Amino acid sequence: MSILETTVSILLNGLQLGAIYALLGIGLTIILGTMNFLNLAHGALYLIGAYTGLLTIKELTLRTGILYDLGFQTLGLGAGFLAALALVPIVGFVVGVVMERLVAKPFYKRPHTDQLLVTFGLALIVEEVVKQVIGGNTFQPAGPTELLGVTVSGPINLPIVGAFPRWRLIIVLIGVIVIGLTGLLITRTDWGMVVRAGTRDSEMVTLLGIPIGRSYALIFGVGAALAAFAGLIGITYQTVSPQIGTQQALIPAFLVLVVGGAGSVRGAIVGGVVLGTVVAAFQQTYSQWTFIVLYLLVALVLVFRPEGIFGSVQVEE
Amino acid sequence: MTGNSPERRGLFARIKASERLTVLAFAIGVVVFPFLLVDGLQIVGEAIDVSIGGYVGLPSLVLIYGIIVVGFNILLGFTGLLSFGHAAFFGTAAYTAGLTSWAIGDPIVMVIAGAIVATLIAWPIGFVSIRRTGVYFAVITLTFGQMLYFWALGPGAWLTNGDNGFSSLQTQPLLGTFELDAVVLEGVPFLESYTWEYVFIGLIAIGGIWIANRIINSPYGLIFEAIGENQQRVSFVGLDVSRYKLMAFILSAHFAGVGGALFVMHEAYLHPNTAYYWIQSGDFVIMTILGGAGSLIGPVFGAFIFEYVSNIISGVSLPVIGAIGSLWRIVLGAVFVIIVWKFPGGIYPPIRDGVARLGAWIADLGGEEE
Repeated sequence: MSILETTVSILLNGLQLGAIYALLGIGLTIILGTMNFLNLAHGALYLIGAYTGLLTIKELTLRTGILYDLGFQTLGLGAGFLAALALVPIVGFVVGVVMERLVAKPFYKRPHTDQLLVTFGLALIVEEVVKQVIGGNTFQPAGPTELLGVTVSGPINLPIVGAFPRWRLIIVLIGVIVIGLTGLLITRTDWGMVVRAGTRDSEMVTLLGIPIGRSYALIFGVGAALAAFAGLIGITYQTVSPQIGTQQALIPAFLVLVVGGAGSVRGAIVGGVVLGTVVAAFQQTYSQWTFIVLYLLVALVLVFRPEGIFGSVQVEE
Repeated sequence: MTGNSPERRGLFARIKASERLTVLAFAIGVVVFPFLLVDGLQIVGEAIDVSIGGYVGLPSLVLIYGIIVVGFNILLGFTGLLSFGHAAFFGTAAYTAGLTSWAIGDPIVMVIAGAIVATLIAWPIGFVSIRRTGVYFAVITLTFGQMLYFWALGPGAWLTNGDNGFSSLQTQPLLGTFELDAVVLEGVPFLESYTWEYVFIGLIAIGGIWIANRIINSPYGLIFEAIGENQQRVSFVGLDVSRYKLMAFILSAHFAGVGGALFVMHEAYLHPNTAYYWIQSGDFVIMTILGGAGSLIGPVFGAFIFEYVSNIISGVSLPVIGAIGSLWRIVLGAVFVIIVWKFPGGIYPPIRDGVARLGAWIADLGGEEE
């Protein structure tokens, strides 16, 4: 491979990883920016999205777990990827709203450390419940082969790099569409305006007679739906196990948050793409050093530019 | 109402606050702990037909984690800094101790070597980390721990044996004479769980509590607490906040290092997952919060509950519910959430108040007899 080929292939893979990281980071950052709430259970939302997606797309053959003990040999709708595309964000949204009402709301006035701890406990519970109910074993990825009559699997011939997995390009496309829709929701709707005003000065918004609490529940739901959606995208090309929530989602989401800057959607997108590209670059060259370099980069950002690339809110305490 | 007279209250409060008594009570606890845990609970378990007794190595493991979380609490409970990266010091000390055993296998040398290296790496890591607070502090400590984790798995595998785990320890008998696994008094009933290893770890734990107690009750330690309460006011008084934070960080890393070295000695095996992965750091957080952040002894209770539940209760089979098995983690997570939510002081304050009330009641009885 020539240097050019490697570079382009790194950029493409980086965009694909970056799309998922950005989805995760945006969810985390809008929740932090609006409600000043830190959610360590963000990975659990990814996990819920991943398993909801898996169960919608395929019929799984269970091997262990409580459902297996109860006599379920197989589980799932087998309804395909499009159904999951519609269902997963809805499930994520509902879970997010419920979580906001039950867990997050009592903690808005408590210190960040308490928020981190309580959501950390919640993440442990969700991971264990999934492990107990569906089983701790790994499931194969569930990427679709065809969408709306268009083939989406297999390789595609691109200039310079040659054969490239078609699905990875489509992930980038889906990511861009979803992120764009979220951006429109926040910048172009009345509801988005309330949310943005709430980020600036929630007290003033309340004084104007706008029920900010309702917007809080909605924004939490949107953040959760984005995380769940990232989980759905994740399972189309990666194996699925109960650990993915903490291993593949929670930590990347926080790294994106830190690099991009807390509370900035633009920062989350840029941060996601930067980190995705770094990971892709090292995986193709010095794969052993991938994550060491990733964490080193984040540490350097924290030391020299703690507000992140586009930081708008400085998280205090 | 003799019991409520101020003098008697004062007397009891003085005893309660006495530093020597705290350490003494802990030492007594360390002495009777293996008997209660292994033999005592086994007798109880036989009576109710559920096996809930500990095994011989468990008291050592509880004390090892106890040492770590007592130190971790100086940082989290007093100075108010939540670190998700203390596995960095735990793991580094463990690998250092393991590698040291190739040259000198004496447990004392291993512990000292591990603790020194952990303290040395804590200085630069702490220097960088304490510049940030809150979530940024948590994330930056996490990044250092994770860097070491991936280093131990990949590029550092020539030292750590990577994913296969480090098992080539050459631990020698303590001071060349006392075999660590040997029982101190062979053949005496109820003393079978007292190994030389336990004696060694127990002595270090008592020393650790004594030192932590001295630190927390010294003017220096009060500044840690003041920083946890209100960092801005401390700096208004003219104190250099970051210097104290750094010292709290290094101290807690030192405790984690001692624990890590003892851990590898105890387990005789070390995988990057147990040494460096951030879940290990998370376990320290859970134990500390569970037991009671902000009290000296509290976290030790947390370590005990965590290890007891994960090692013993997970194997218990109850008549109605059936095997508890791996459900214990759900229960642990739920208990953790409830404690953070409703009882931020952890489980220690209720225990302490119960003992205090008992003490006051006994003092009361004594008073009436006079």
